Amino acid sequence: MFSFSDKLSRIGRSALALGASLLGFTSLAHAADTVKVGVLHSLSGTMAISETSLRDVLLFAFDEINANGGVMGKQIEPVVVDGASDWPLFAEKAKQLLVQDDVAVVFGCWTSVSRKSVLPVFEQENGLLFYPVQYEGEEMSPNIFYTAEAVNQQAIPAVDFLLEEGRKKFYLIGTDYVYPQTTNLVLLEYLRSKGVPVENIGGGLRKDGNGNVISAGTYTPFGHTDYQQIVADIKKFAATGDACVINTINGDSNVAFFKEFAASGLTADECPVVSFSLSEDEFRSLPAADLAGHLGAWTYFMSLDTPENKKFVQNFQQWLKTADVEGLERDNRVTCSPMVLSYDGVYLWKKAVEQAGSFDVDKVIAELEKGISFDGPGGEVTTQENHHLTKDVYIGETMPNGQFRVIESYEDVYGEPFLKGTFE
Amino acid sequence: MQAFSLTTFVRGLFLLLACCPLWLHAQEKTTGPDSRALFVEALTADNDRANEILQELAARGATEVRPLLEEWRAGGIYAFERADAQPLYVTLATTPAQEETSETYIRNVETDELVENADGDTLAVEKGDLDPLFPSRRLRRNLLQIVDLIALGSPEASERAEAAIALGLKGDAGYLTALQERREIEENGAVQDALDEGIALAQLSLGDRETKLEAVQRLDELNSIPALDRIRALQREATAEGSDWSAEDLAALQTAIHDLEGYLKWVDFFGTAFRGLSAGAVLLVVALGLAITFGLMGVINMAHGEMIALGAYTVYFVQQGMAAAFGPIGMEWYFPVAIPVAFLVSALAGLILERSVIQFLYKRPLESLLATWGVSWILQQAFKLLFGAQNKNVESPTWLLGNITVHDISLGYNRLFIIGFAILILVGTWLLLTKTPLGLCIRAVMQNPQMAASMGISTSRTRMATFAFGSGLAGLAGAFLSQIGSVGSGLGQTYIVDSFMVVVAGGVGNLLGTLYTALGIGVIDNTLQPFLGPVMGKICVLFAIILFLQWKPGGLFPARSRALD
Repeated sequence: MFSFSDKLSRIGRSALALGASLLGFTSLAHAADTVKVGVLHSLSGTMAISETSLRDVLLFAFDEINANGGVMGKQIEPVVVDGASDWPLFAEKAKQLLVQDDVAVVFGCWTSVSRKSVLPVFEQENGLLFYPVQYEGEEMSPNIFYTAEAVNQQAIPAVDFLLEEGRKKFYLIGTDYVYPQTTNLVLLEYLRSKGVPVENIGGGLRKDGNGNVISAGTYTPFGHTDYQQIVADIKKFAATGDACVINTINGDSNVAFFKEFAASGLTADECPVVSFSLSEDEFRSLPAADLAGHLGAWTYFMSLDTPENKKFVQNFQQWLKTADVEGLERDNRVTCSPMVLSYDGVYLWKKAVEQAGSFDVDKVIAELEKGISFDGPGGEVTTQENHHLTKDVYIGETMPNGQFRVIESYEDVYGEPFLKGTFE
Repeated sequence: MQAFSLTTFVRGLFLLLACCPLWLHAQEKTTGPDSRALFVEALTADNDRANEILQELAARGATEVRPLLEEWRAGGIYAFERADAQPLYVTLATTPAQEETSETYIRNVETDELVENADGDTLAVEKGDLDPLFPSRRLRRNLLQIVDLIALGSPEASERAEAAIALGLKGDAGYLTALQERREIEENGAVQDALDEGIALAQLSLGDRETKLEAVQRLDELNSIPALDRIRALQREATAEGSDWSAEDLAALQTAIHDLEGYLKWVDFFGTAFRGLSAGAVLLVVALGLAITFGLMGVINMAHGEMIALGAYTVYFVQQGMAAAFGPIGMEWYFPVAIPVAFLVSALAGLILERSVIQFLYKRPLESLLATWGVSWILQQAFKLLFGAQNKNVESPTWLLGNITVHDISLGYNRLFIIGFAILILVGTWLLLTKTPLGLCIRAVMQNPQMAASMGISTSRTRMATFAFGSGLAGLAGAFLSQIGSVGSGLGQTYIVDSFMVVVAGGVGNLLGTLYTALGIGVIDNTLQPFLGPVMGKICVLFAIILFLQWKPGGLFPARSRALD
């Protein structure tokens, strides 16, 4: 499947090659008017539901920039490729973008495994990737900028909030893969450092032969549907009335989990669940009534009451009505943190290019490392030397209409990818 | 914990504040504005003032504002903006006729009267013009306790019992007095137990050593699960260095912990058995259709999962249709309508599938595997194209929500429903196959098609009907799965492996085998889960089935069927 812009880029490329060989330098004048930018997301397969929204917001950002004169006078020419929820294919597509299309920057990836798959390609070809989705940290590639929430910009503030609320017992549950496992190990260390005894951390610990904890919490496979036993365990755990659940379950399983949770008679007041993988976009296919009162932690909520956000939401909705993009879903769309962090990434890159006066990857990275700020829909974000962002973190309570209501905010949280072993 | 210490004097529904300076402060004010006016003031006051008001309301035992406090917590109090006047604080008073419209009547919180316009008619306002008010998070927690305190005097026994435990767990001296006073006048036995438990829990964190030991003993007798953690903590404290607990007292603690752990084991045991049973019932419902199409007919139908998904989608559309046509009543009763519709829709799809593809492949099972696999992909993509890639969310009717709790084992209504449902369709299928002329034809055709044909039975039509019936059963499974998970194009894929697993391990062609294996897998899976976790538990179950099939290749109840000839 090739999108329209993909076709355009191919035509453009062949025209360019033909022109260059026939006319020498004259055809380069055309090329100088545009700059190619890669978009690498899954537009098919299991991740398409989430990732298509990111493609949409990126195209929206490009159109917005192009309408205002482009980047250093050049129009952005998006090259959209489909990673198809297939991790090795992500690496292939990344290589194609960097080598064949020679893009100046790539915005893309959702799952950590897709990022790990393209990382060597970006390092080898010296490309630049902006990665927008909350992740487990413990990584810092010189060729990637992580606009995503690091663990200390999502999980840790959420735990702080719950501790402040007087919660004493924490039940950890997640889907069985790298993000939940790593996050929960970091959280285990953090909770211990805050004086929470081991017996107050639910879900079980697994230790290796030397007694080191290698896994904390209960994990279920992708697509798991039978949460009876786990919810019964949580109910027992929460009988004392001061427990909460840290939920890193991904995807559809959340429906089964929350339905079971509600059916067991547990309420958000007795035992709130804070989820790290559920944003407004996911709420579109979740039973919002079962989720009401539970918590979320992100660096952006659609309900934020700021002029920047209102403008962003309004412009995006306007763009959805008129944009000429194949397969674009136009109705009932929402905005969420990964979308906004994608959007922020585009503007940060634009600023860096303009400050560097060049599209050269090394020069742009050098500018980004110096610290560039942008007033995004979720508040001001600033790039850091360690390739992460300083940004505001919000704790929100889910409302029956699938939106969050902000109940706590932490300003200018420094993004710190390496947390393991840093807590006393 | 919360700063206020409250004592309640419960006479009927009345609570009084005592023994702290706040009380005096509040007492002076009881002659002040009425409770409703105070409540309205709290809506817009800052945190501290709002807290003060809440405490005063609790002290007054202001039962008339309790529903309002609960509404406020749930976001049911609205600010109605008026031109050139203060906003009015209101609750919705929507009439049944207004449910479908964008308008609603509103009720003034302060006067408890419907709001009228200048002409004295009831004012109808646009629902969209009303902004819900929410208490701050911290205020909400206080609200919860105020509501709990007032709930101690609630006419509902279950509310009183819940409030008693919640307040006891707070370990606050003020609540303890409130609980004790309530205990003296409480007449309901279950609530008395709950109050005793609450009192003992509070004493556990408040009393001197003797009281604590007495409380421990009482909690032991009451089988109090919430107490276990506290008693363990007490034991740690008591055995810490430098503590002067006597060996006798320590032994008492140990006995209580031992007893409670024993009780918890029983709760776990029966709970796990129930959960295993309900997981088995899900498996049974899912696999029963396949037991017909694969087990009896020998068609390896890879599109079985999509028949399940089709049933689930049908429920979704019936729900949407009935909600649109009949409003809340439609939402409440769509499910009984959706069940037969799901059966018919899937049966029809099965019929079409049989006529268009499978009837040509009865003698070639491997080709039918590939062909139906292709159909499965086509159907999945068709679902995505027709119904959208986003999963659909089916709201359960209220009578399927909630649970009953027997000795701390909670039995979810939806789980009880599926167990009953599974028994019903199993018995139905068995009756159909053994007691009806159609069943006789089916068995005859499956056992020896040539002989059946020579007896005048139309084998082609019998197969068609059987396949449609099997597919219809898959549709029923989908109908139920829509109540415990989400509905999406990939729904069937989640269950197809499980279905084949159950049918193969049970013995192809035998309904009884399907029943035993489904229940067996459900119970074993749930028993292993607490020790091994869901991932390892599942692996162990699969491994056990492989070993079992090595030992008994024909499954639990091997049968001769055409597929094996």
